[in-house]
This record gives sequence, C-alpha cells and structure tokens, in this order.
Amino acid sequence: MEFFLRHRIVRRWLLVAAGALLSLPAFAQINLSGVWQNQLDEDFPDRLAGPELGDFAGLPINAADRLRGETWDASLITLPEYQCRVHPSDYASAFADIRIWEEFDRNSQTLIAIHLHHFAWATERTIWMDGRPHPPEYALHTAMGFSTGKWEGDILTVTTDHLKEGWFRRNGLARSDKAVVTEHFIRHDNGLTWVTEVDDPAYLEEPLLRSRDYVFSVAGQIAPYPCESVEEIIRPRGVIPHHLPGTNTFLKEYQQRHGIPDDAAMGGAKTMYPEYRAKLKGAGVQPK
Amino acid sequence: MKLAIPSALMLGAAWCAQAQFGAPPRAPQGPAKTIAPIDLTGYWVSIITEDWRFRMITPPKGDTEGVPLNQAGQKLAAAWDPAKDEAAGEQCKSYGAPAIMRVPGRFHITWQDDNTLKIEADAGTQTRLLHFGPAQPPAGPPTLQGYSHAEWVFAQGGTARRGGEGQPGGVAQRGGSLKVTTTNVQPGYLRKNGAPYSANATVTEWYDLVRETNGSTWVIVKTIVTDPMYLFRPFVTSTNLRKQADASGWNPSACEAR
Amino acid sequence: MRMMQTILALLAAAAFGAAQQAPARAPGVPQNFDNVEVHTLPAQGNVYMLVGSGGNITVQAGSDGVLLVDTEYAGLADKILAAIHKISDKPLRYIINTHYHPDHTNGNERLRKAGSTIAGGNVAGDLGAEASQGAQIIAHVNVLDRMSAPTGQQAAAPQGAWPTDTFTGNEKKLWFNNEGIEIIHIANAHTDGDSIVYFRKSDVISTGDLFVTTTYPIIDVAAGGTINGYIEGLNHIIDLIVPVYGQEGGTLVIPGHGRLCDLGDVLNYREMVTIIRDRVQDMIKKGMTLEQVKAAKPTFDYDPLYGSSTFWTTDRFVEAVYKTLSSGEKKK
Repeated sequence: MEFFLRHRIVRRWLLVAAGALLSLPAFAQINLSGVWQNQLDEDFPDRLAGPELGDFAGLPINAADRLRGETWDASLITLPEYQCRVHPSDYASAFADIRIWEEFDRNSQTLIAIHLHHFAWATERTIWMDGRPHPPEYALHTAMGFSTGKWEGDILTVTTDHLKEGWFRRNGLARSDKAVVTEHFIRHDNGLTWVTEVDDPAYLEEPLLRSRDYVFSVAGQIAPYPCESVEEIIRPRGVIPHHLPGTNTFLKEYQQRHGIPDDAAMGGAKTMYPEYRAKLKGAGVQPK
Repeated sequence: MKLAIPSALMLGAAWCAQAQFGAPPRAPQGPAKTIAPIDLTGYWVSIITEDWRFRMITPPKGDTEGVPLNQAGQKLAAAWDPAKDEAAGEQCKSYGAPAIMRVPGRFHITWQDDNTLKIEADAGTQTRLLHFGPAQPPAGPPTLQGYSHAEWVFAQGGTARRGGEGQPGGVAQRGGSLKVTTTNVQPGYLRKNGAPYSANATVTEWYDLVRETNGSTWVIVKTIVTDPMYLFRPFVTSTNLRKQADASGWNPSACEAR
Repeated sequence: MRMMQTILALLAAAAFGAAQQAPARAPGVPQNFDNVEVHTLPAQGNVYMLVGSGGNITVQAGSDGVLLVDTEYAGLADKILAAIHKISDKPLRYIINTHYHPDHTNGNERLRKAGSTIAGGNVAGDLGAEASQGAQIIAHVNVLDRMSAPTGQQAAAPQGAWPTDTFTGNEKKLWFNNEGIEIIHIANAHTDGDSIVYFRKSDVISTGDLFVTTTYPIIDVAAGGTINGYIEGLNHIIDLIVPVYGQEGGTLVIPGHGRLCDLGDVLNYREMVTIIRDRVQDMIKKGMTLEQVKAAKPTFDYDPLYGSSTFWTTDRFVEAVYKTLSSGEKKK
C-alpha cells in the first residue's frame, strides 16, 4: 500500500476517485428535519398584522362563506372560550416558525411519522408515514386533523381530513369541517416551500392553493406559547359578538383605503384569474 | 505523500457512505428534453391567491410591504414615475426575469430545441429561454430577461425505509425539479409600482410539479432574487401556476407601466 | 352508510313529527336494518360511543355492569347487544333516556329485558322476583309522560319501553363503575324532557339531541322545545367542559347524532345557533312575518353545513325558532 501511496500519479488518481465517489450529481434532499423560519415576503400585511376586514379578494369563496365573513366580529375572540383557539393545521403556514422531526421504529428503523411543531399556541401535528388508514367519519375532528403522508420523488405529499372548522383567512372566512387538505413540502437547499391546497365543498367554489416559504434556521429555537383565558370584556352569559347581515360598516374600509371595487374585494373564484384584471382598470390608488 | 492521507480518508469516507446509504443513483445522461424528470410543457395560468393587491392592481407609490428593500431601494421606489417610464419606452420594467413569473397571466412552455426550454408569457408578450448544458458566461449586453442557465435536479429517491403509504422502502416516482439561474438582467421592478432591482440582481428559481387528487396539475415556481444593491436580503416568493388543457384565455398584451 | 343513517333518522323523526299532529299515534319506526352496522368507538375512560342508524348510544362499562344512554331502534337490538358484549360481558343495569324520541328510545324494551337490576329490601319484598327483572330505565318524568300518554290516549310507546325510574328536579345522581354520573335536566330545549349525562371520572358528556353535528337543532315545539332553552342547554354543556388546551381534548362529548366531539365543536355549534336566533329575533322585532323571515334566509351561511331539504328542513328549523321566539320567550 505504501508503495502505491508514494507515487504521485497514484495519489492523484486516488483523490480523483474519492472525489468522484463523494461528489453527487444534482440530487435533491429529502430530509425536512430542523427549525424553519417563516419568510413573509408574500402577503406580508395579511399574514403578520392580520388581514383587513372585508378583504376577501383572490379567494374562491362562495356566497355562503362570504356571508360568514361579512357578519364576523373580531370581538368573538375576546370570549374566554375562544382566546386559546389554535390556528388549524392548514392555516399554520401563514406565519411563525416551525420545527419538523422524524420518528422511526427503533428496531426496524422504519419511518413511522413526521412531526411538526408550530410556534403559535405550540400546536403539534403528526403526519403518519406508515400507511395507516384514516379514522372513520364519526371519529373526533381536531384542529390539526388526521394526516397521512407519502414521498412523491423528493416531495412530501400529505392528505389531511378530520379537521375542525377553521378559516381561510382570519377575518371571518370560515373553512368547514368537511374540507380535505393536500399539502406538499418541497425542500431545495436551505429553503422549504409549503404548498397547501384546501378542498372545501361547503365554502369554496374551487380548491384554494397557496404556497409559503421558509428558510432553514441553523440555531433555531422556538419559544414556548402558553395560553390562559381571562375575562377581557364583561358580557351577559351566552352573548356571541357578530354583525347582523347588512349592518357591518367596517367592510368597506379595505376597499376605500386601496381603491378596490366591491366586487373584487368580496372575492370569489373569478378574482383569482388574470382576466379579472380587465375589470380592475382604474382601480387602486393611482399616482398623480 | 501530502495528498495520500487526505485521498485515503476521502476514499474511506466515500466507501462508508455507500455502504450505509447505497450508491447514489447515476444521473441520467442525454439531452435535457430526453432526460427531463418532469414535464413542464403546456399552457399554465396564474392563480392569484397571494399578494392579490400587489399583482392584480398597481399598488400606490411607496407601498412596497413585503419586499426587503434597503434604504437605497426604498429611495428609488419612492421616486417611481410611470409617466417617465412610458416616455422612455420602458413600460416593460416590471416584466423582467426577476418578476415576470409573478405577473398575472398565462405561460406557454415548450422546447425550443433539445436543450433549450422556452417560456412565453402573454402578459407583456415576453419570452424567456432557459439554457441547459454547461454554465456559460452570458454574451452580450444585459436584457430584460437576462441569461438563464437551467439544470435538472433529480429526486434522490429516498433511502430505504423512508417511504409511506404502503411503500416500505422506495418511492412512487423518481421525479425532480428544474433549477434556473438568471443573470445579466437590465434594471427593473420587482413590483409594478417601482420596487427596484439592479443589474447586479441574480435570480434563482425552482420549478416543481405537483399533482392533486382532484386531477389538477400545478407548477410551483420559487423565485429567489438576490440584489446587494437594493435588497438587504433575498426576496423570496413562490408562485402557483395551474396547468390548462389548451390555450384558452391566452391573451398576449403589451407591457403597461401603470 | 351516511345515506342509510339519514334515511332512518328521517323516518324516525317523521314519527315524532306525526306525533306532533296526533300524539296518540304509535311511532313509525324503520323496519329493515339488514344493512345497518353498529360501530363502536372508544371515547374515554369507561365510556364508548355506538353509532348505528338512529341516535348515538353511549355505553359505560365496568365491574358494576353496563349502563347505556339511549337505545336506538328495537330492530338493531341484537347488533347493539353484540357490540356491547364485545366491550363487556357484565349485565346491563341501567338505561338512561335523554328524551322520548323513538330514535333514542325504541330499543328500550328489548334492551331492558336483556339486563337485570340488583333488587332487595322492601322492593324485593313487595314485588318479588319481578323486582330484578330487566334493567332500570332512568329519565326525566316528562319523558315518561310523552311515552305513556297519561291523558288516556294511546301510548306513544309500549309499556315495556317506559322509564321505570323518573325524576322531576334539575338532576339525578348515580354512582356506577367507580364514577359519579350526573343526569342533568335541561328545560324546554329540544323537548321538555331533555337530560344530558355527565360521566365525571371518564370526563364524557352524552347530550342526546341537545347537541348534534348533522343538522340544525331539532326543536320539538309541540313537545315543549324552545330555541332559547336549546341555547341554554348548549351553554350548560360548555360550562361543564374542561379542555386540555385550545378548546380541544379534556371533556369529550357524545352528541345525539354525529361524530365524537369536544369543546371546539360545541362552541362552533352554539355560535351558529345563537347567531341565527339573534337574526330571527331581530327580524321579529322589525315585525316580519314568518314567510318574510324564511325569504330572508337567516341560515344561509350555515346551510352548507347543516341545511337539509328532507324531514328537518331548514324551513322547519326557522319556523320553530320563529314560533318559540314569537311566543314571548325572553331572550336569555
């Protein structure tokens, strides 16, 4: 061996061989584990500060859901029993950091599940990777739902049902408990794209697909998120804050502030398509 | 002897890695069109469920929320003057490579040749050429669409026992992504209201295909714009295009500065 | 299965609907259960949920025996007993009825006979061997009145199905299988004889039709049901629940129809009912007629979730809300 290692040509070829073995062609990664920091370059005002009242534009909601949004009162979440209500799993990608980790069977080292922890309300969900079936329709629904996943190439595709009622946007647009959600987790280098498609036969004209981006956080830490209910507003027992249909005066604020026609602000599938721009000529607050 | 030990160590490490994880799959060889792991050809429509008021209408000057502009970038955005752009024949500044995939419209993707993928956008009547093969320095002056180098990134296919849904080891399909790196761009706008990018901007894009159980097919285009002149960090968006059966709605239109 | 459940539930409810018109008639109960399966879902602690075709059944099982809340249809009794025997081979001791409707009580007689009561003392001395025959059926006295028709007309249910142990106050307490059980009467809600059953250690509440996930609230106006009483019942259920976190977990709820639930589900349902009640109340204040209220569609945004065009239609729900509010009930 030492004879060969002494020869320069042999050493150089060894180096080349090792490099060839170690160097990979352009193959993707499929381990999603780690802490991922939410990037808010898209929909920044909506996702962080919160959506404006009456901003339903670009969402394929139907008339029934529109009425849910029009009559929703933000004071609802001042009720003690609503204060610690968590964001459902299909809304989680709207904001805040997440941690993903894998769970393996100790003996066989087979992947059982992928877990995801979300900063807001410290919610955790399980994506079952072991082929188990979804529970029967009469089983409990949860905010996280019941999720199973599979790899499609290097994309993790997840199907979730058994969701509690949630929301498409946190300004009153309800997402029903009949929805089925399909997600795709796509990693490239230190970036993660989380794609969510919601199929809601009760409240959507068409499926709603959105994608959010994350960056890997090397020293990532996620803070705890305890929540305790308190009495913020003293009300008579059983009062539910809401607006009677046609009485919500706040609905026009978004339209007026941004110069958006009512038809557009009220959403619907048509507002998602490029051709709808033709109806928006002159909309917006134009430069002088 | 100086190279011997590192060489031996590298060789040993490589051998160990292969023993544990199996040999990495060989990259397919051949023209890009032949070895494509995903089929991006066809007509695609923007579905605007994100950044609606920044994309469907022109936001007012200075409203650049979400774009990580540094001080210089903000100053330039505050000076946006669409009339000036129109007078100078620069109506297309918001249709350049860093922004075009985000403009509401339809896209037609075809193979110009075995190693060049062509993306046509009806909004602004723009054409991009994505060049496969060895990366080459762009020739010629900067252009609106710059020079795009493309490469297929093949799915690793998963190691043993990482599958799911009845697949104890393997994966349903190999798949992969398209990675595009674009340089040599003319200065332009990341948003229609003048949020700027400079000629120093580099655009990295990832194109991934997903198929839904309801039958729809989407390409998710992740766009990362890096511009040390006007951005304090990369600007990252992911745009969702849904496949169409045909050219319905294809509507070539001129660029608009407003 | 869902279609079969819907059809059978509709037929049963038609029975009480008909009873509203002619209380003396015998209930029209579905006859064919060949294709109906009874499914068992463990809830929590000692408590299980059985799902068949009528109302859900709650089973509490332990060393003392078996306790049921409601009994569905007699035609399913064999399947129900088979499901119970997979949980426990102990004798059935108690049946609690949440209300009188046949989709919750029609199985009383058959299931009662499959059980037995521990009797002794004066009762055994007075009644003899009869005292220990069959399980006890516990319910609010108004349930007995509805099933037995004390007015002298034909009873709505056979005597063997009647409650044997009634109470008139706000609640009755029981200790069984190492836990306290509260049977809490909710006045004038779904009917005038509703009870919810709270298993304190297992931390499960059986609500009967005071809470469902499948339709708008069924308000049996002819049997004393009112919308405000219904909402008060939901609020009472909410008061009893302690969630683990974020409106989830902790106390589980077995509804009269539909899936296993927890606080979040009850809150969503209460929100819906209260909002619709408020809308109709507002319309009544404006002097709108029933037809005008129906035309205004006060339930429109919830119709995709709870609306129906068969039996308990959306219109019938609105009508019930309108009538009970218009009759001068004070909004609570």
